[in-house]
Amino acid sequence: MSSLHQIKGGRSRPSLPSFMVGQARPGVGSPAILALLLTPGLIIVAAFFLIPMALVAMRVANGPDGFATYFIILTNGRYFASLMQTLVMSAGVTVTALVLCGICGLFLVRNRFAGRNVITALLTLPLSFPGTVVGFMVIMLAGRQGVIGSVTDALFGDKLVFAYNIAGLFIGYLYFSIPRVILAVMASAEKLDPQLEEAARSLGAPTWRVIKDVILPGLMPGLISSGAICFATAMGAFGTAFTLATDIDVLPMVIYTEFTRNANVAVAAALSIALGLLTWAVLTAVRCFAGNTATSGTGGGA
Amino acid sequence: MSTQIKLRHCAKTFADGTRALAPFDLTIEGGETIVLLGPSGCGKTTILRMIAGLEFPDAGGMITFDGDDVTRQSIEKRRVGMVFQSYALFPNMTVAENVAYGLKVNGVSAAERQTRVAAMLEMMHIDMLADRRIDQLSGGQRQRVALARAIAVQPRVLLLDEPLTALDAKLRVRLRTEINALLRKLGITAVYVTHDQEEALALGDRIVVMQKGEIAQIGTPREIYRSPKNPFVADFVGAANRLAGDMRDGRLHIGSQVFEAVDGWNQYNDMIDKTGPVELFFRADGLSVCEREDAHFTGRIEAVAYLGDKQRLTVSGIGPQAMMIDTHADDLTAVGSDVHCRFNIERLAIFPAHDADSGAI
Repeated sequence: MSSLHQIKGGRSRPSLPSFMVGQARPGVGSPAILALLLTPGLIIVAAFFLIPMALVAMRVANGPDGFATYFIILTNGRYFASLMQTLVMSAGVTVTALVLCGICGLFLVRNRFAGRNVITALLTLPLSFPGTVVGFMVIMLAGRQGVIGSVTDALFGDKLVFAYNIAGLFIGYLYFSIPRVILAVMASAEKLDPQLEEAARSLGAPTWRVIKDVILPGLMPGLISSGAICFATAMGAFGTAFTLATDIDVLPMVIYTEFTRNANVAVAAALSIALGLLTWAVLTAVRCFAGNTATSGTGGGA
Repeated sequence: MSTQIKLRHCAKTFADGTRALAPFDLTIEGGETIVLLGPSGCGKTTILRMIAGLEFPDAGGMITFDGDDVTRQSIEKRRVGMVFQSYALFPNMTVAENVAYGLKVNGVSAAERQTRVAAMLEMMHIDMLADRRIDQLSGGQRQRVALARAIAVQPRVLLLDEPLTALDAKLRVRLRTEINALLRKLGITAVYVTHDQEEALALGDRIVVMQKGEIAQIGTPREIYRSPKNPFVADFVGAANRLAGDMRDGRLHIGSQVFEAVDGWNQYNDMIDKTGPVELFFRADGLSVCEREDAHFTGRIEAVAYLGDKQRLTVSGIGPQAMMIDTHADDLTAVGSDVHCRFNIERLAIFPAHDADSGAI
């Protein structure tokens, strides 16, 4: 590296102004400097990722069943069902949020009307609420004394209550996810080139084809990144679930129960590792899949 | 075969009340290349978008393709090929997929698609780029792909919106020549929007010069160049020099000089018969450097631009504004020295003085 710079420096003609020659002096990109620049990143990765992960993994190894704990959580019906339930719900929240926000975000970017900024501000408001508050709101909406319950009671004589199970959690997480996704969609939609759509239409493409071939591929980077955040948040979120009920079997709740009530540290640790790995695996798979379609040109959904 | 396009009483007022186009009529013959020329904001792109079906004329306007009323038809149904300044190629598709796209959405079978795409790519000399991604192409290559994509669907009319503006000068000339040859070969009706007069003169069968939402002149390149109808057109197609004069008894008086009417002025007949102040427009070749005894005017060289095949002098002292005068590349010219020049009297555009004041940009 440094020898290359010296060659460059030697080649530079005397007529060059001194500041340009100075730029090519050795050392700027030398391994020592690069290592120094990498250090903060390495420290953070070690402190907040590698060390805690290792400690948690060791807890599993030191538990009564050792590494077999991983086998136990996969074969034990309750743990496995919880794993699947969390996965399905998070995926459901992600897909729903992407569809809703894709439509709303595109609409908000493409149309100018009175109150547009107010709507955008309202849609992004949940960003500021913690999970507990979101859970509280879901209870106000769909709980035993909730608005939906009162309305259905008055209309059909039957209270519709769904705040205290997975449906309530779904609503809560969706509410929680909308701002993140909608902001990402709006950012991507601003960058869409309207002439691409005009070109597609001039070639005879009907609206659905323009959406599939031009708009969706253009929004895809924003949809993937915000969808990833949305999915990861839903996989690990705890506050909302804890506020709604203690018997919703999503993985973070199970981990909490095993750890605090049952003092089953090894299982809690194994579930934590499984939760992390599963989330990571899904995100990686989506990224690979989306990366392939983006270059091969078939477009399609996430 | 080629489609004739008629626009009747077309006007465009935007939603905010801005009048983009005053009502106009325009007929584009089948196979003709029409160039819409004008400065930005003159309405030329709005006309193109009206023909495309991306904008619709105000009530009362009518657009027909070969007699079929397409006024309210949307762009998907009109079978128009569009080429944009920004290329507008699909970034998620390869070159071949871009060119095939129109055929695909129109339900052409995969086998035929392949044959036709290959033929298109070969015609545009980009067959070796078929599997490239768009971001791997240069600007010139991108515009070739865009052209291939637009003509692959055999559109009724090809619409080109400043297609060469984003390219460098040398490539612009080369691609312009190719587009010209392509349009002749296909015999397709084409509408070409540009603000570059050289491009307009080189490509157009006819040129429509636009000024502030109105058609200032329609004519062949020769008519536009030699006989501009008003000061705006004269100025826009490059007659940058202006002089004030007087018409009396069919003669042109400029200061103490008197010029007889000549054949080249025929198109300004009514001007020649009138008496009163006139404004003269001419290009850098309207004056030529000569010996003192042959001179009509004498000025002072303020600046010299060496252009290789010629030199362009900026000369003061002839009129109120500095003149551009071209001279031979080898002539001795020195800033600050006097220069004698003759009027090439046939290369003039003459307008009544008040027109010139109101119309020129």
